[in-house]
Amino acid sequence: MSMGKFLFRRTLQGVFVIWGVVTALFGMRAVSPGDPATLMLGQGATRNLIERVREEEGLNEPIYVQYFDYVTDLLQGDLGYSWRSEREVEAMVIERIPATIELAVAATVIAILIAIPLGVISATRRDQPADYGATLFSLLGISTPNFWLGLMLVLVLGVWYGIPYPSLGISSDLSVRFGIGFIDLPTGRRGAGFVEGLMAIVRDGSFDELLTWLRHVTLPAITLGTYFTALITRLTRSGMIDEIGKAYVTATEAKGLPGVLIRYKHVLRNTMIPIVTVLGLQMGTLMGGAVITETVFNWPGLGLRLIDALSIRDWPLMQGIILFVALMFVVINIVVDALYTYLDPRVSVE
Amino acid sequence: MSEEILRISDLSARFFTNEGQVNAVSNLDLTVERGEVFGIVGESGSGKSVTALSIMDLIDSPGEITDGRIEYRNADLAEAVADTHPEAVDGEFVDLLSIPEDARKSLRGSSFSMIFQDPMSSFNPSLTVGEQIAEAVEVQRRATANPRSTKARTKSVEYSLSSLVLSTVLPSRRFVTEAGRKRAVELLDMVGIPDPAQRTDEYPHEYSGGMLQRAMIAQALAGEPDVLIADEPTTALDVTIQAQVLDILRDLQEETGMTIVLITHNLGVIARMCDRVGVMYAGEVVERGTLGDIFQRQVHPYTAGLLGSIPDIESVGGRLEPIEGNVPSLLDHEMGDRCYFADRCPKAMEECLDKPPDISAEGSEDHVAKCVLADHPYDPARALPDDHFEELTVGQGTAGEVADDD
Amino acid sequence: MISNRVKSNLRQTFRNSLLPKVGVLLLATIVLMAVFAPVLATHDPTRTGYFHENGGPYPPPGFDYTTTVAQGGEIGEVRITATSEHLLGTNTVGQDVYSRFLYGARVSLLVGLFGVSLALVIGVPFGLVAGYYGGRVDDGLMRLADVMLAFPSLVLALALIGVFGQQPIRIPDPIVMGSEYLDLGIASGMPESIPIPGSVTVVVALVTWVWFARVSRGEALSLRNEEYVKAAKSMGEHNGAILLKHVLPNSVTPIIVLATIQIAVIILIEASLAYLGFSGTTLSWGYEIERGQDVLRTRPWVSMLPGIGIVLSVISVNLLGDWFRDALDPNIEGSERGA
Repeated sequence: MSMGKFLFRRTLQGVFVIWGVVTALFGMRAVSPGDPATLMLGQGATRNLIERVREEEGLNEPIYVQYFDYVTDLLQGDLGYSWRSEREVEAMVIERIPATIELAVAATVIAILIAIPLGVISATRRDQPADYGATLFSLLGISTPNFWLGLMLVLVLGVWYGIPYPSLGISSDLSVRFGIGFIDLPTGRRGAGFVEGLMAIVRDGSFDELLTWLRHVTLPAITLGTYFTALITRLTRSGMIDEIGKAYVTATEAKGLPGVLIRYKHVLRNTMIPIVTVLGLQMGTLMGGAVITETVFNWPGLGLRLIDALSIRDWPLMQGIILFVALMFVVINIVVDALYTYLDPRVSVE
Repeated sequence: MSEEILRISDLSARFFTNEGQVNAVSNLDLTVERGEVFGIVGESGSGKSVTALSIMDLIDSPGEITDGRIEYRNADLAEAVADTHPEAVDGEFVDLLSIPEDARKSLRGSSFSMIFQDPMSSFNPSLTVGEQIAEAVEVQRRATANPRSTKARTKSVEYSLSSLVLSTVLPSRRFVTEAGRKRAVELLDMVGIPDPAQRTDEYPHEYSGGMLQRAMIAQALAGEPDVLIADEPTTALDVTIQAQVLDILRDLQEETGMTIVLITHNLGVIARMCDRVGVMYAGEVVERGTLGDIFQRQVHPYTAGLLGSIPDIESVGGRLEPIEGNVPSLLDHEMGDRCYFADRCPKAMEECLDKPPDISAEGSEDHVAKCVLADHPYDPARALPDDHFEELTVGQGTAGEVADDD
Repeated sequence: MISNRVKSNLRQTFRNSLLPKVGVLLLATIVLMAVFAPVLATHDPTRTGYFHENGGPYPPPGFDYTTTVAQGGEIGEVRITATSEHLLGTNTVGQDVYSRFLYGARVSLLVGLFGVSLALVIGVPFGLVAGYYGGRVDDGLMRLADVMLAFPSLVLALALIGVFGQQPIRIPDPIVMGSEYLDLGIASGMPESIPIPGSVTVVVALVTWVWFARVSRGEALSLRNEEYVKAAKSMGEHNGAILLKHVLPNSVTPIIVLATIQIAVIILIEASLAYLGFSGTTLSWGYEIERGQDVLRTRPWVSMLPGIGIVLSVISVNLLGDWFRDALDPNIEGSERGA
């Protein structure tokens, strides 16, 4: 089977999964308590007004008609309107995507840069202090809830050691809660992101904006990335240990190949094969972690908006955000599968 | 001719496992001459592979070489290490166990290389065969290209992590060069792989077992080694392919004049390939000598037993005579201090409860056996009763597998 | 159910390594703490208003602080120091931090235990039937699993909270009840019932059951072709009986490993939900961390302590899981999954 055919089939599967997600979301909204019209209009609305909105929104139609309408709208790219702000959900989702992706990518980069060398060192120096250190770190990393980790980082680095961090210098307690993130409080707008930072360099050679972004993103990215750093360290360590015991490693040593090449070109490459799969599946966990991290640091991404939407039961907005997250998950996993066939020549794209 | 190239004396290798200390190799003595094919034969768990891995310095934890010398004749190396490690040097010989690890590793590929039993698991499944052979070529090329090491190599080839990272974007920093790849194709051609230019880009799983074993021979030859160690090179192959692979080895040996240490459990292979033979049992060489010494003038009842337990083509219909009893335990606390074969030996006598020394036997000059029968005949009056070792044989058998997985 | 080989592997791994011992010890401590919370607690964990006479909460030792107070028209600074009455201080609404710490362990462990049990009850039968019969049931399960995997577990949990609401269930506290008959030395005023975040328990089970279904399906799929299953079938045994007598017992090992690891996952999800304010009970470590967040600078202990509780309990369960996995080596998917 060719790569094209393989991608086509995986995409078809992905479409099926997304349809399932859409249906599940519709179902959840349908069975959730509370009348949508009342939620839209607030408690003070008159009976007449509520009835009119119910009629307009098709809420009096039978459930299968509502479902059909919902899916048809989605197929046309219409995610509906937020019940509370009455803005288009599509716009509300899109404007928050860059911040979340920046955070997730920064966290993943940190995780990979630290975890893989750490895992390799841990596996090649088994039962030595470096290994014990890495094991302890990864145990702590997978066991620490990231919201607490974020707060403790702020507390220890910012408050106790006084390391300058955006807005931590302000003496008010509230600064911890509202100043760390990225929102300019008076205007409620988001500061420059990674792309804007790059553009500023190109435009007027100023690194300021990128550095500001970097200062803002570091702590949230560490917070989100720690779990993954720990997880990848564990996977790399155990994978390397399995792999090092294999006959081809002895054969490679017998050739006189430098250790770096044995460890990274041969052993790590084969260790990466299962790790890549796990990482693809873990993308969901990364998004879940982003929800929490964004809440802790007031990072204006999808997660923060999801929590806002949930607390006021704004279902169209929730559905829009979750749908996007699921779509990302499906796409990433198709990419991972394609990558898998590249990493492991034994797996043809069947 | 007859110049010694490898002199192993008093070599002991131990494995420290959960069950206890496993004496995989004990006080082993061997000499290998330049240009010969030296065979090591024995059952599974006799320490053959551990001996081979010891020469290559490939014994890993929980194993360890605890004692002995592995002396390798290399005048250049001897001169290079004479100042820093005088205790390692004896004339042109250098004791590999007394020089630094880095110097020892530097001999891999160019002085010693190795062919393994199972070609399918001895190649990295995710790199092309050509790439892996080219790596062996590069190790040799880089070693000889280094002007500091023209005389003798005391440092293994280095390649930094930063180069590895850079090589993902800069082809010039890659370890394997275009020249190395070309040489890999030549080597594949040399071992008789058809259409080598195309097959070099294929992955191990696309090769047949026999093809892959040839490719491994090509890889082992890449460094033009002095000594090629072949550990059960044909065991994993079909019978028809076995002969082809042995022929290739024989031809290449005659062409290049390299020394081959051939490890096998198959006496047929020994008879076909070897000049001299060492028979191993329970981590010791129990008898060694020329092919004629072993096949015609063997002294040790174990050697005789081995010969008896192979089907003899000439006496079709003749009965196969397996050696009775269990594979010996190599656990230190179960071994005791006697002839380790005594419990299975049909000619065990009271003398055998003491450890027999190496005794010269009739035949060629270096025909030696670790058996009292070498200097006096079997005396039925002194025979041990059949049940003498009964209580010792309980619970034996598996420990040896830990140390020697052939 | 659990073979002797498995037991001896477990024993050997336990003897040979330090981490399983640490895990068991830690978990035992936390479980005892949770069970005997009413005995160990010094105050009613829900009672508010334990403030210093100058208005601020009590700090634990080492966290003394200075606060500004108005005294008779004068504004002055007062140093507030730790008190032995409240070992670990009090929180922003004046509740005893130590007592809440003990009761928080109950919520974490109970949600973990009930959540995993519910997930087992849903997931294992579904998976076994799907794997054993194959066909449509199996296809359906695998597709459903694909869909569920596309939801991040925390996001799915949040969406389900939107459906189920945040109902706590109050169950009578057996220890407090028992003190009528046995003098356990319980301080007066301990709550007679404990709140369990009911909908959270259901939600975490709905989020995690699919892993159990997948693992049991895999087991049933391979056991289906075992000789003894075929033999039982040929002897006319009922499929249901075969599933119960042959397939289930032989699938137990990987399911136990997975269950252990999923308890850790569930504890983390519960803490996250509580932190976000969706758990329905305030007696939760996650909720307490959220409460301390606003005063992190001046009253850091309010957030610190419950976090340590979460980390220690998750570590202990993870160590247990690692021990089982190392000893039993079931090589199952989903065992490397966190919240």
